Amino acid sequence: MTRYVLKRLGLMALLLVGVSVLVFFLFALMPGDYFSSNRQLTPQRKAELRALNGLDQPVLVRYFIWLGNMLRGEFGYSLVYNRPVTELLGPLIGNSFLIAFAGFLLTWAIALVCGVLSATRQYSWFDRLVTAGLFASLSVPSFFIGLLAIKVFAVDLRWLPTGGMLDTASSSDGFAQVLEIARHMVLPVGILTFLGAGALTRYFRSGMLEALHADFIRTARAKGLRERTVVFSHALRNALLPAITLLAFELPALFSGAIITEQIFNWPGVGRIQLESVQTRDYAVLMTVTMLLAFLTILGSFLADVLYAVADPRVRLLGSRRAA
Amino acid sequence: MTLIKKPVAAIAGLLAGALFLGACAPAVESDPGTEKADLSKLKDEFYKASDPGKSPAAATQRKDSFVTTISKPGGVFLPGFYDNGWDGNAVQPIFASLVVFNDAGEPVPDLAEKWEVSSDNLTYTFHLRKDLTFSDGSPLTAEDVAFTLTLLNDPAYAGGVDFSDIVIAGTKEFRKGSASSLSGITVVDPSTIRIVTQKPNPLALRTLGGPVISKAYYGKGYVKGKLDYLKSLYGKPLGAGPYALEQYVEGQEIRYRANDHYYSGKPSIARLIFKVVSSDSALQNFQNGDIDHGGFGSDPANLKELQGLGFADIRARVISDYGAIWVNNKKPALADTKVRQALYYGLDRQQIVDAKFKGLGQVADVFAAPTQWSYTNDGVTSYGFDAKKAGQLLDEAGWKAQAGGTREKDGKKLTLSYITTKQDDPVIPIAKKDYKDLGIDFVPEVLDSNTAFDRLNNGDYDLAGFRSNGLSDPNDAVSEFGTTDPAINVTGYANPEVTALIKKGISTFDRAARQKIYTELYQKLSQDPPIILLDYRKSLSAWNARIQNGELYTTGSDDAALALAKLKIAG
Repeated sequence: MTRYVLKRLGLMALLLVGVSVLVFFLFALMPGDYFSSNRQLTPQRKAELRALNGLDQPVLVRYFIWLGNMLRGEFGYSLVYNRPVTELLGPLIGNSFLIAFAGFLLTWAIALVCGVLSATRQYSWFDRLVTAGLFASLSVPSFFIGLLAIKVFAVDLRWLPTGGMLDTASSSDGFAQVLEIARHMVLPVGILTFLGAGALTRYFRSGMLEALHADFIRTARAKGLRERTVVFSHALRNALLPAITLLAFELPALFSGAIITEQIFNWPGVGRIQLESVQTRDYAVLMTVTMLLAFLTILGSFLADVLYAVADPRVRLLGSRRAA
Repeated sequence: MTLIKKPVAAIAGLLAGALFLGACAPAVESDPGTEKADLSKLKDEFYKASDPGKSPAAATQRKDSFVTTISKPGGVFLPGFYDNGWDGNAVQPIFASLVVFNDAGEPVPDLAEKWEVSSDNLTYTFHLRKDLTFSDGSPLTAEDVAFTLTLLNDPAYAGGVDFSDIVIAGTKEFRKGSASSLSGITVVDPSTIRIVTQKPNPLALRTLGGPVISKAYYGKGYVKGKLDYLKSLYGKPLGAGPYALEQYVEGQEIRYRANDHYYSGKPSIARLIFKVVSSDSALQNFQNGDIDHGGFGSDPANLKELQGLGFADIRARVISDYGAIWVNNKKPALADTKVRQALYYGLDRQQIVDAKFKGLGQVADVFAAPTQWSYTNDGVTSYGFDAKKAGQLLDEAGWKAQAGGTREKDGKKLTLSYITTKQDDPVIPIAKKDYKDLGIDFVPEVLDSNTAFDRLNNGDYDLAGFRSNGLSDPNDAVSEFGTTDPAINVTGYANPEVTALIKKGISTFDRAARQKIYTELYQKLSQDPPIILLDYRKSLSAWNARIQNGELYTTGSDDAALALAKLKIAG
């Protein structure tokens, strides 16, 4: 097992280097830089600014400077925001994580319950209801439902704030502030959950249905086990196994946030910056966010593999046999 | 100054295009769609609130604050050092300038009571108001102005304020040599400063007369060539504007409090808040009282909705820019004036303007914005949609239609690429059809803006759709066509008469003389068009009627600070 983990870790490092090379050079290949679209600068000034920011160096030199800084924990300086990238992204990542994590917990809880229940009661009214909700969730675009929710809950009913993380000119602190943030989270998290739960419910429902029709379930039933034990202990365990992979891939999503949802609700998260940095060629931010997401994706798949190996002995055995 | 983005992208030019310029009656401007008028007569429009009592409780309860919007502030609150245009808006309430410019491009005194420009247009003398102080009570003198200008010319300065077309005397010695200060700056006495420049430039007044920062505060620890120490002060601004920063809540809002020491008296509204609001939900925020003021999209439906609220005072403001299709005059086919004229006549610009601004835009014909003092369509050719004329011009230029309808010259097909940054650019379908009818193969490409500008700067394009920057001086709109520098004159346009007129336009500071020059220039530019002008636009903003003098304030306009100081809350 240790050998398996170590091997995977080594592969991870290699992959990250590969990704960094690929991403850096791809971005460098894109025509234009941060100063290109500023038509108010004279060419002379543009050249000066490029030199001051090291953009006049060859790509290869820039890559190694960047890599060296990165390894020392320096993620560079954002040209748009005029601040160190870490200082810029730190709070935003935290904010994104907050709604993404809340949404994630709700999504999984709802999907699990709905998926299992509707599978065990296939064709019941509950199942039909879930199926209908599922299609709604899969087919409604997030900006539409987001704006609709703002209109209904914030403007017409005035139950919830239109967006942001705090009230205008808020001076609350302590528990009051926690409540205030929670209130602002309701709409974005609700939308995220609604949009995310659909796909996941469908996944659980079909996984569960498949498991329920499997031979070992019939055997379990034939042995006279209680239906409860059959469903939750035998079927659910097997249906959930593939979900480990899904779970692990949620990891980058937790930090990258939901770009559109954050945009609509003015949530100060990292999603907006991510998109913006591509448009403005803010390389330091662009590279940091991309590398972070690449790292999380690779880490996620690593965790999935390890968890899988723990949960499913067949993987482990197969792995060690190949290694031997 | 760096580009200050106007957060209001709304368009409500309520006038349809007047292609028979000058021949029509003054417009009744509040009746969209029915009137055709010359936009040069177009003024901002105001719609008074019909029922201010309908103001939502959330807003009415805020007795001491004015809440307006901002899109994406970055937290660098030091003029000249931010690079994010929104930070430019955010510093306006904090820092007062020597001179600011109103919408018409006229200078308005701010910290400087008056100023003189020498007859050779090289020496500027500013006379400051008496007893000026920063918001912490410390005195503001000519020394502070000198320090500000020195900082902006420091060899390590990497911000967007550009002196390369002005050049204060002694810059070279200061930057490259051992000089510890700029020899062109003389502090005559605490309230007088004289600046000698090396290039005459009517725009210099704006750059030299920009925001003033405190030497005592920002100059502590200043060593030439080392500006990194300033970074720790980016978030702690100190200026002499009507408001001082209270707190920046990252990604949420910027809070200000009224400056007790403001030279024209403490502003009447004690607190000012710039709330971060996306354009998608600005209307909803306004509707439920979260904000008092905002810009509202380009949809005329928004105007209706705002009017329906009852408590909104609305302004449809003419924006001082123009939309156009840049044309690469260096391409053999496009070097011919007749071809460019044909492209003009052959394109239904009215249709594009209608599609873009939903019937509320205006076709542009002059290389100036209608808000500018120099704007005139006197003798300017208006290129109405005339496919037949376009065809004739192409024939004359030697581009003859072949059997299949495509035009060819010397065996080469007339193919034109078109770069745009907008997926939904209405120019694409309309030009595609109009130009195809003419026998031109029109090939659109949608790119991101940095790539697009890179292609534009490298001359790697035929046609490209862009907006001009905000225009202040008449020279802003035309300067690029008067130089041979390919990095500035991206269209590669060359016309000795035009070049001479552009040079002449900035050789004098006398407005009447300049007006004459620009009138002639606009005529010349319309006879030999460098690019295809498309449109002027209006933009919608609204404020809660409880805010008095709201019509004075536009987020991001150069004189925003002066306007903020004049706002009052009714009742």
